[in-house]
Amino acid sequence: MKALCWMGKEKLEVHDVPDPTILNPRDAIVRITTTCICGSDLHLYDGYVPTLEQGDILGHEFMGEVVEVGSGVDPNKLKVGDRVVVPFTIACGSCQFCQDELWSCCDNSNPNAWVAEKIMGYSPSGLFGYTHMLGGYSGGQAQYARVPFADVGPLKIPDGIPDEKVIFLSDIFPTGYMGAENCNIRPGDTVAVWGCGPVGQFAIRSCFMLGAGRVIAIDRVRERLDMARAAGAETLNFDEADVLDALHEMTGGRGPDSCMDVVGMEASGHGALYAMDRAKQMTRMQMDRPIVLRQAIMACRKGGSVSVPGVYAGFIDKVPMGAFVNKGLTMKSGQTHMMRYMKPLLERVQAGEIDPSFVISHTLPLDAAPEAYRMFRDKQDQCTKVVLKPWDQMAA
Amino acid sequence: MNSSFSERSSGNFQERLQQGFADLPFGPKTLMLGAGALIAYGVSRRSKAGTAIAGVGGVLAYGAMRQMSQEPREVKATFLVNASPEQCYSIWRNFQSLPKFMAHLKEVRELGGNQSEWVALGPMQREVCWTAETREDEPGRRISWASLPDSDIETSGRVDFRPDPQGRGTFVTAEVQYSAPGGPLGVAFATMMGKHPEFMVHEDLRRFKALVECGEVPTTAGQTHGPRGMHGHAGQVLFRETNNQLEPQAGDELRMSA
Repeated sequence: MKALCWMGKEKLEVHDVPDPTILNPRDAIVRITTTCICGSDLHLYDGYVPTLEQGDILGHEFMGEVVEVGSGVDPNKLKVGDRVVVPFTIACGSCQFCQDELWSCCDNSNPNAWVAEKIMGYSPSGLFGYTHMLGGYSGGQAQYARVPFADVGPLKIPDGIPDEKVIFLSDIFPTGYMGAENCNIRPGDTVAVWGCGPVGQFAIRSCFMLGAGRVIAIDRVRERLDMARAAGAETLNFDEADVLDALHEMTGGRGPDSCMDVVGMEASGHGALYAMDRAKQMTRMQMDRPIVLRQAIMACRKGGSVSVPGVYAGFIDKVPMGAFVNKGLTMKSGQTHMMRYMKPLLERVQAGEIDPSFVISHTLPLDAAPEAYRMFRDKQDQCTKVVLKPWDQMAA
Repeated sequence: MNSSFSERSSGNFQERLQQGFADLPFGPKTLMLGAGALIAYGVSRRSKAGTAIAGVGGVLAYGAMRQMSQEPREVKATFLVNASPEQCYSIWRNFQSLPKFMAHLKEVRELGGNQSEWVALGPMQREVCWTAETREDEPGRRISWASLPDSDIETSGRVDFRPDPQGRGTFVTAEVQYSAPGGPLGVAFATMMGKHPEFMVHEDLRRFKALVECGEVPTTAGQTHGPRGMHGHAGQVLFRETNNQLEPQAGDELRMSA
């Protein structure tokens, strides 16, 4: 089959590799009909997240048809022919964490848990197409994928809904939704959202679903700010205004009730501190650039909530802990507990409350993935979200 | 080591030397430190006397190492498993299935009575065999075992199953004593090969937990991937994916294909 392989920093290649096979009894093989490039894939592309290996198949947002199941999969839960969206987190369904619905904290799905424990104390769940510290499972930017614990994760999709409307249930829609949920929104609250990429777009819409009165969306890419405005958000371009001053002004000196960092480790900004963060990240003295996190903590009103769906990999410097403590803030984060959100959000899609396909800017064959990564990273050609079709041929 | 006086006097020079070291009022680690200092001092003098001093240091170091290799070591690990003590016990007690979670174990055969034969794979995939005798076997509470004298390695251990007072599962504690083949150098070598005993016991117990809780142990061994190259292969070794992951557990006969 064809698969997109990570061959080094900024070096992706589509290779012919062996088809995946069932390895464990609870595995299934999915023939992929649609897959996407995620913002968190860009951190891998840029080489900022450690423990990737040359030859890894990337991709953690995919859906398709089940073509093979292992002997341990209950046919009432999943069978050959089912059309499924596969969540990016892998969960066993029977450990304490899965039973508590903390699916992305599954205790048993990461075969390299000891590596994650060295860096984080305890290991979160395994992920598709991500680092080896999080399992090193081959991902879904390919024609087929092996799905472990297939009786727990995949969500069955009824016929009649196009892939484009449900593919984002694999990651970014639930991720944006959980980010909004972690904002502890009360009716009428003001939420500031840093980052208007695809997850940010879903986060903004989810904030309104959860009763927010105002959403202030912060970015600098014109088409993304336009998209946020279309959802009813007020916008702030951080190239044109000082974010803290502007938020202070817009909230009458009180500050947003909740602040959401949907940017993570490769944030952009201005000033000396930003330059220093960049230099430290380049020299590996700091894994992440926490520009947005610092702003979110400083901007948040007293007693407010900071929600962090953005991806961070390691250790960060100069976090305003004094502000966090003295203002009595609450912070919540985590990889998305996918299985909590997939079904309810599918119902919202079916009910016509939201059509997630609004975020797609490009649909391309898998062979175009290496160029698509660059285009997405550099935000060229008004790229917001790339959907890949693994079985389509390149136009000559 | 508990040899009587008559045995000691009739033994060869090496054994007598060994016993002499064992009678010293300080441990082998201190001895090794002193030996290292003598060698360093001797070599730095660059004279005949210096060579002699370094030589004495060498003899002391050799003795210390011999002694360290005979010192039994102990490793211990505990995991809270989301199952009852009875479930945990019954899966562990099925000795023939231990290779299902002990990655370095090749085979266990029950020999009848309370004896079983164990075959493990050491560094460089070398087979290490021993016969173990089950010492304690209390359903739902404890199993302990010890190797018999004619074995490749000397090892004993026990596993305890203790219910969590808050009802959140079972604390499973494994304790293993062993005297490593090859002494401290052997352990250093094994560590390089990803087979440090402490790491192995800890990881085996983690896999036991997965097996009890979800009926299989997660693995990526044998999954499809692109060309690994130097960087990829180095990563596989570095993250111990070549020797700390189980073989896939779905046999061909178990597969239901489309």
